[in-house]
Amino acid sequence: MKIAVLYGTETGNAEMLAEDLAGELEGDHDVSCANLSGFDPAGFDAGTFYILVSSTYGDGDLPASAQPFAKAVEAKAPDLSGIHFAVFGLGDSEYHETFNGGGEKLAALMAARGAVQVGERVTHDASGPDMAEDLAFPWARQVIEMAAGLVGEDA
Amino acid sequence: MSRRVAILGAGPSGCFVAQALLKARPDLRVDILDRLPVPYGLVRYGVAADHQGTKAITRQFARLFERQGARFFGNVTVGRDVTLEALREAYDAVVVATGLSTDRRLGIPGDDLPGVHGAGRITRALYEHPDAEPLPPLGPRPLIVGNGNVAIDLLRLLAKTSEELDGSDLGPGPTAWLAGSGIDEITILGRSPAAAARFDAVMLKELGRLSGVSIAVDDLGTAGTEEGARTLEALSALHGHGAGPRRIRFVFARRPIAVEGDGCVSGLLCIAPDGREERFPATSILTAIGFDGETATAESGAAVRMAPGLYGAGWFARGPRGTIPDNRADAQALAAVILADLDATPASSSIPGDVLACLPGTVTYDGWTRIDAAETAAPPAGRCRAKITGRAAMLSLAAAPDEKETQP
Repeated sequence: MKIAVLYGTETGNAEMLAEDLAGELEGDHDVSCANLSGFDPAGFDAGTFYILVSSTYGDGDLPASAQPFAKAVEAKAPDLSGIHFAVFGLGDSEYHETFNGGGEKLAALMAARGAVQVGERVTHDASGPDMAEDLAFPWARQVIEMAAGLVGEDA
Repeated sequence: MSRRVAILGAGPSGCFVAQALLKARPDLRVDILDRLPVPYGLVRYGVAADHQGTKAITRQFARLFERQGARFFGNVTVGRDVTLEALREAYDAVVVATGLSTDRRLGIPGDDLPGVHGAGRITRALYEHPDAEPLPPLGPRPLIVGNGNVAIDLLRLLAKTSEELDGSDLGPGPTAWLAGSGIDEITILGRSPAAAARFDAVMLKELGRLSGVSIAVDDLGTAGTEEGARTLEALSALHGHGAGPRRIRFVFARRPIAVEGDGCVSGLLCIAPDGREERFPATSILTAIGFDGETATAESGAAVRMAPGLYGAGWFARGPRGTIPDNRADAQALAAVILADLDATPASSSIPGDVLACLPGTVTYDGWTRIDAAETAAPPAGRCRAKITGRAAMLSLAAAPDEKETQP
């Protein structure tokens, strides 16, 4: 499957996870990895499954590198029907009110333009005991399996 | 042969410069020095003990040494163990990322009275920096001066119950000091109006989860900006929070003019918004109004070139403002400048000596992993790490097994 891992990062943790994830999936799929800061929302392609990795920053906000993307999606309002995506969020439960707000906002942004979310949005807790990749790798295999029958098919 | 970059300071800014350099040029030889035997600087000794999620950033930095070929040289003091000149001769580029750690003083009469302490001095002691002075008694009514996140970190730690420190890496000494503090009331006072306070709203919201406090916020005032409105909203949500025994009082728009006390702090004299003098009684004063020290002189913008092949990064370059991610963005800009400079200058034809590898008593990354393993192997209940606090103990743990004396 053609997979694009797109990340929004502020301190680099989401970037590291996205790169690790891309490396993990590379052997079995056609994988690319890019920062959302350089991604044009007009470039979404129905034949690609998008795995979005996003941290949360400030008061439950999108991280800095995802903000230009969010603004562009809002401004251009692209039709994303037929686009399939999954979201892996990173957050810190020390800030429990806004825990994982970044991933949540990104998922809502995509869904508002008609894109279809595949699987559950998973939440890694930086203050918890798990390593992000220990959650992300099995989750990614699962959502890719779920997406297999969906991506690229005519809606 | 590959070009060489030495980075002075293994804190977040130095590590982010190394990360950006190695991402662009995996063949670079990047050596990171620190005067302490352990890496990560501010992340280990400045980020609050109860913000372990923020400290998780060290996983990125560990990768520099574990996979990207950077070398760590701990326990190296530039000027004592090796000169800056020798480093500049042996490396194509030298980056100074030593941070700023001197507490800025109030600069008013009485600011040198016993009982006035800088926030850096207190947090270094709380987080068991090997050079920290002992934790002083604060008395029942400490007053924190400052409107930033360092002030909030101090306030939160002083206000937390023992149970609320679970999961942190706060050591036994600081834990006992907090438990025995006998604090009744903490005043947190700043010069700016509430809406202009530099607290992050998310840090204020965190205070709303404290169980042992009752919070009052005076003088909320009005906001002129969206950010100010966010701060006010978070502050007004805090007002009236809790019914715990430890009282917290936020006071804004007060200009301190003198620390009062006869031999020891008894209060802070301020000018109130209406121009009148106002006295705030206190048994100690903690100043969280920024940091001072020698900084680099910028040629332009965030990427600081001080001389050919000599650069400044992080707070050393930009002054004591900006968060860890702000400094990551600066580090990436600086790395681009360094790489462009390297491309524009021919590599030296002579092969320089490995000046750091020749130094005795340095701690390698492997040495740090032995310290790290010792700290995390069996932390006490409620703690994720038991920091080794003394230099000698760190150096002894860091020594490779075959360097230690073996049994006959």
